[in-house]
Amino acid sequence: MKERLSALIDGELQSDSLHAHLGRLRADPELRGAWDTYHLIGDTLRGQISPGIADRVAARLREEPTVLAPRPERNPSRRLGWYAMSAAASVAAVVFVAWTASTGWRAESQLAGGPDAATAASPPAPIALVSSVAPVGIENYLLAHQPYSHTSAMQGIAPYGRSVAGERGTAGK
Amino acid sequence: MTPPFASCVWLGIRIRLCLLPVSAAIAQTEPSALQWLQRVYAATEKLSYSGTFVYQQGQQVETSRITHVVEASGPRERLETLDGVPREIIRTGDEVVCYLPASLTVKIDKQPGRRPFPAILSEQLKDVSENYTVRKGEIERVGGYSCQVLALEPKDRMRYGHRLWADLSTGMLLKAKTFDEKNELLEQFAFTQIKIGGHIGRDQLKARYFRESRDWRVEDSGAKRANLAEAGWTIRSSPAGFRTVTELMRTMGGTGGVGHIVLSDGLAAISVFIEPATSKQPAPQPGLVRQGATNVYMRPIGSYWITVVGEAPAESVKYIANAVEYRK
Repeated sequence: MKERLSALIDGELQSDSLHAHLGRLRADPELRGAWDTYHLIGDTLRGQISPGIADRVAARLREEPTVLAPRPERNPSRRLGWYAMSAAASVAAVVFVAWTASTGWRAESQLAGGPDAATAASPPAPIALVSSVAPVGIENYLLAHQPYSHTSAMQGIAPYGRSVAGERGTAGK
Repeated sequence: MTPPFASCVWLGIRIRLCLLPVSAAIAQTEPSALQWLQRVYAATEKLSYSGTFVYQQGQQVETSRITHVVEASGPRERLETLDGVPREIIRTGDEVVCYLPASLTVKIDKQPGRRPFPAILSEQLKDVSENYTVRKGEIERVGGYSCQVLALEPKDRMRYGHRLWADLSTGMLLKAKTFDEKNELLEQFAFTQIKIGGHIGRDQLKARYFRESRDWRVEDSGAKRANLAEAGWTIRSSPAGFRTVTELMRTMGGTGGVGHIVLSDGLAAISVFIEPATSKQPAPQPGLVRQGATNVYMRPIGSYWITVVGEAPAESVKYIANAVEYRK
């Protein structure tokens, strides 16, 4: 459903499913929470974030180590692009850390250890929803890795039951 | 004429280098324990069984149902999760199909790097005995079966320890625990009910979502063997005991051209994914994420994202992620 939601935000839904989804959005408070959060992410990516968040992101960025690229950057504007991506990632990261704390995933990035991490992560309810961004991505890596895991050699496909654990928070909304 | 001093010393070092790891392995690992491990691998491949098992990590417990049937054409396997998000996995030969009804997606993955059993076995057992001390423990009961306990203790901090419970009469693995460096439990898997051998109905292998999934999105990994070193990607060095076992090119989450390198120490596997950063996807979070025994570490290299996934300590996963290099 979350995917449909982002299609809805991007204006990519056909009119018949559009009505169905708007109806669902009205009825489901959790889906509405996701809607708000997706817009927040979109606003962040476009640079339209509230001053409070901007300050926190800037503070967080100062604490982050410099990203070292192995190849010389020929185009300086691309470096700026990285900076912007990293800013967006930081916002997502805070949210992700909060989510992981509630569902068995543990994130131990530079951000999680930052002095603000605890305060930023404190309101768990609205934050829990953005998590679908990070874990769904990680889910793909886990599935692709699974066949090569030792557990597969000894337990057949049983370990595939394991990857589900992290998915719980994003169930069929 | 006596050989020059330096070459004598060098010869001595070389002999010691050759002998040390082997003798250390023989001194500690019991051969009968290794034979047991071999039985476990063979049982997974050759036995037909059907049962229910639980996976536990931290506070979380998930139950799944599994059926494995060996037919003339090869093994066929089906897994269905019973708790939380529904998911169904069907494996036929080297093809795995995942039905994910929550996201209306079917994922198809072939394993071109997976070598047929038992070709891989002797090599794998040799690596295991070099990196772990394998010992036989007590006889304990699991799911109504008497089991041989096997302990695999890591020889250094770059891998986790394991404890296995294998059915005395068939070798079937009925319980497994993974421990971290401090010997604390990371995750465990255990059958609560299992039927080994006998008649297992073919209907238990039928995909529940087969019909329903016809209009779902299909993501085919299109995995193919590849030479990533030729493309410029190398792993400068890996933690002791880990070596590259396969290199692939695949599609992941709609992104094509993702490099996939698999390293193994005989037991633990670590996957390295090298993926071009696209503007479409949300930027991932650099850093480490952990679930049970699995560590995931992400970092950017230029316009690529490196993601390393493995059932190994964070130290090993990070080490490999930081050793990935692009040279052209």
